[in-house]
Amino acid sequence: MKLRTKLLALLAVFVLIVAACGGDDDDAGTDTTAGDGGVATTADGGGGGDDELIVGVSWNNYNEERWAKSDEPAIKAALDAAGAQYISTDAGSSAEQQLADVEQLISQGADALIILAQDGTAILPAVASALEQGVPVIAYDRLIEDPGALYITFDNVEVGRMQARAIYELVPEGNYVFIKGNQADANADFLRGGQEEVLQEALDSGAIVNVGESYTDNWDPAVAQTNMEQFLTQNNNDVDAVVASNDGMAGGVVEALRAQGLAGIVPVSGQDGDAAALNRVALGEQAVSVWKDARELGKAAGEAAVALAQGTPLADVAGTVLFDSPGGNQMTSILLAPIPITQDNLQIVLDAEWIDQATLCQGVAAGTVDVCG
Amino acid sequence: MAVTDAPPTAPPVKEPEDRSFGRLLRATEIDTRLLGMLAALVIIWVGFHIWSDGTFLTPRNLWNLSVQTAAVAIMATGMVLVIVSRNIDLSVGSMLAVIGMAMALLQAEILPDWIGFDHPLTWIIALVAGIILGALLGAFQGVIVAYVGVPSFIVTLGGLLVWRGVAWALASGRTIAPMDSTFQLLGGGSRGNIGAFWSWVIGIVACIGIVLLLLNGRRQRIRFGFKLRPLWAEITLGVIGCAAVLGAIAYLNRYLLPDQVARQRVEAAGDVWPAEGIGISFGLANPVLIAIVVALVMTFVATRLRFGRYVFAIGGNPEAAELGGIRTKLTIVKTFAVMGVLVAIGAAVQVARLNAAVSGLGQLTELYVIAAAVIGGTSLAGGIGTIPGAVLGALVMQSLQSGMVLVGVDAPLQDIAVGVVLVLAVAIDSFYRRRAT
Amino acid sequence: MTTTQTRTPLVDMRDIRVAFGGVHAVDGVSVDLHPGEVVALVGGNGAGKTTLIKTLSGAHKADSGEIYINGEKVAIETPRDAKKYAIETIYQTLALAENIDAPSNMFLGRELMSRWGTLDDRAMESAARDVMGRLNPKFENFKVPVNSLSGGQRQSVAIARAVHFNAKILIMDEPTAALGPAETAQVSELIQQLKAEGIGIFLISHDIHDVFDLADRISVMLQGKLVGTVRKEHVTMDDVLAMIIIGKLPGEATASELEDLHG
Repeated sequence: MKLRTKLLALLAVFVLIVAACGGDDDDAGTDTTAGDGGVATTADGGGGGDDELIVGVSWNNYNEERWAKSDEPAIKAALDAAGAQYISTDAGSSAEQQLADVEQLISQGADALIILAQDGTAILPAVASALEQGVPVIAYDRLIEDPGALYITFDNVEVGRMQARAIYELVPEGNYVFIKGNQADANADFLRGGQEEVLQEALDSGAIVNVGESYTDNWDPAVAQTNMEQFLTQNNNDVDAVVASNDGMAGGVVEALRAQGLAGIVPVSGQDGDAAALNRVALGEQAVSVWKDARELGKAAGEAAVALAQGTPLADVAGTVLFDSPGGNQMTSILLAPIPITQDNLQIVLDAEWIDQATLCQGVAAGTVDVCG
Repeated sequence: MAVTDAPPTAPPVKEPEDRSFGRLLRATEIDTRLLGMLAALVIIWVGFHIWSDGTFLTPRNLWNLSVQTAAVAIMATGMVLVIVSRNIDLSVGSMLAVIGMAMALLQAEILPDWIGFDHPLTWIIALVAGIILGALLGAFQGVIVAYVGVPSFIVTLGGLLVWRGVAWALASGRTIAPMDSTFQLLGGGSRGNIGAFWSWVIGIVACIGIVLLLLNGRRQRIRFGFKLRPLWAEITLGVIGCAAVLGAIAYLNRYLLPDQVARQRVEAAGDVWPAEGIGISFGLANPVLIAIVVALVMTFVATRLRFGRYVFAIGGNPEAAELGGIRTKLTIVKTFAVMGVLVAIGAAVQVARLNAAVSGLGQLTELYVIAAAVIGGTSLAGGIGTIPGAVLGALVMQSLQSGMVLVGVDAPLQDIAVGVVLVLAVAIDSFYRRRAT
Repeated sequence: MTTTQTRTPLVDMRDIRVAFGGVHAVDGVSVDLHPGEVVALVGGNGAGKTTLIKTLSGAHKADSGEIYINGEKVAIETPRDAKKYAIETIYQTLALAENIDAPSNMFLGRELMSRWGTLDDRAMESAARDVMGRLNPKFENFKVPVNSLSGGQRQSVAIARAVHFNAKILIMDEPTAALGPAETAQVSELIQQLKAEGIGIFLISHDIHDVFDLADRISVMLQGKLVGTVRKEHVTMDDVLAMIIIGKLPGEATASELEDLHG
């Protein structure tokens, strides 16, 4: 994985060169920061006036759809509302680059930092140095093990609880299969922990039985599909529910079930609110997709950054709780609650313009689901 | 998989021994390495069967296994040629992602605007477009390798990064689903198979094919007055071949559609579902059928066509090939183009099976494909390798993975086991090769 | 030179030049070859013999110079071109693909095809058995990769290739380097036989005895240049050694220089 990261960094450099050659967008407004690879800054005014607050955002890899589409506009909107200025950098998936990026943001006069860490450990020296210089740091979506930082994320354990709860309500007793995420990703175990909290009692009482459980390399849907086929074979199709940790893998699971005529009969969980998954929810093939509205996350981070930049102490930032991290730190955290999307509340994703009705309702028979007409 | 002919790289026949098995092997001129791999496969299968309390060797699991192996097996046949010609293709997984994504976008988002979703022609347009794209991407890399002279390791390492990026850019990381309903049949599932009857037809055709091959070989030997295999050896070969094929069909046909699926099918045909139910066989799955056809075609290409002979000659001694008047550069470009076509077929199977194209499609696939070829006896030094070997290699690897899921071994340990087997297979192979010379 | 023949030569190479970087490997060399004649190319290591001959076999392009086959000017740029003019080469390195069998090597690049466009391996094996029956009747390993053959057997394969395709012009680069005495004698015999059939042979050799046994004329090269071409019967071995080592024609070398050759 380390090698892969380096290779990706190499690619980022390549992309940078290409972008530099073709880049003629010098009228860069506040919105055109996206494509420019690892270019250090996108600030319009550089240092800015002394009276204006500046919030620096260090993206680990802007080249992921979600950040540009949801998170960044939400952060910007929150900053605009408070009259603060937005500057950003993109580390192009390189932990080393991100160290330099953070220093650069500080030297540009950032009064608070929002960091989406490529590597939560490698970034620690930069965070410590920022805190020493009196620049507060927000660990955005990914944990940074420094108790001086404010950790803002969706509650992944809660995501796991919601997945398990939704399935448990449908199948209070029977055989369960657990399709977990990549074993190297801490989130995989957070999710599994939440699922366990909800189901432990029923497991202990024997009401539900764990008949198959497996990590999934790279969260790869094809691997999840193969594993599900094996669990079905092993149990001679006697599987009543599947707790899958994300939507991609849920897709693989549903295809394995379909081959046995069980799609839509055996409930499956997921998370992310993928378009394909929400469509499956509408079709009745997936019971739940736990949706994390990234815009909520961006808004919370933007507001918290302004508060911190104005000198508010960590503990006094609105909505904080204490969170015991896996590294043994007590992190001051804002843990946002995700939303479980089922066939009954699909309206939420439509209202949020997260998905359009045609995509959501593709192939759904008329009259079966309210929002699809 | 049928062994159609002894490959040109068959090891030298050893000293005469008087044991009857040795005599059988010599008389039938079977590749002993292939037999060794079959033996290893049998050991793995029986081992997992016992360990899984009798689940592994059920028709259902073997059917699963055949489908799960198909995509890697298809691509491994091409990797054999690439490696034999002293090259490597690390871009297979990323190419699979690009081509898979392109085919998915074509059928889910582009074609519907022109001819509507689920048009009867959609699947073939998407497939052909994918194959053309694969040939172009492969040939492009091949040209850089052969004519510009950049080592294939570097070219395809670049490809691994570039194509992965392109795949992401094509759909901005979205998951593209669902696929055209006909296209889905390429991936298997409860509809994507040919049923008991056609499976039998294919089995019988294969049986006739084996007999014809043996007869033709004998006729050729007579034509040139060569020494003939003893008649009993020919007959033994024919009987074993036919029995293996028909036995496999009979066994797989015992895997029946789940009742609810069978019932849907019966009722869709306008018949009444009887209370006691009807057993409907899955039969061979489409991806498996595709893999078998690909393996046969590629064996033919590798052993019976000039192109294949040249690939082996280049692998054995590039200078000699050049001096022999072979257009070596063009041949290298062709091997990469063939690889690209096979990646496209593999991508079609994968995407159809998952009924979706995801941006992480095909991650690490290049390693599995290379491992399959290598476990199957392909030498990374070039010049040595067989198509049936690579298919068996893919089957060995998938057997390990599926078997371990079946007995509840979790992912990290699976990786360890597959890694160990890879190294072990090559170690044993090189040990025997050294002894043989 | 000493040549007095007036017939059109089979091969006439004129003023051939090949340079690698700044080094003139072959520097304005002219040689010719007549039907049924053996011309030996001799010289020390790096004298340019092999490079010169590669311009005829198509393995290397000459930078300048002309090649005439039967009086006609030809352009030889690839091994395929050379084969078009019935030029066959037996390389010092044998140029065999180690991993494939003898018939496949013999027919490499010129495979026999069945009427369905597939390789006709049995026909190739049959043809190989025919040729080999003449050259090396004891040869039986037609089905194994050539890397399991002995040096002599591999040499037979390389020679069989030239014989089968009816070479008019044969280039032999150190044909006996890898062979034992019995096999060497066999090759000598073969050369006489081919000669009698009217084939012209360029023979590159280190072995002055071989050269005197087999060659009609001897062309000597030194540092990329042609020292001279002499008829075998007009010179002694010492004369040729003098040409090879100090680059002087017979009669040009002083007594003391000749003395040093034996020192």
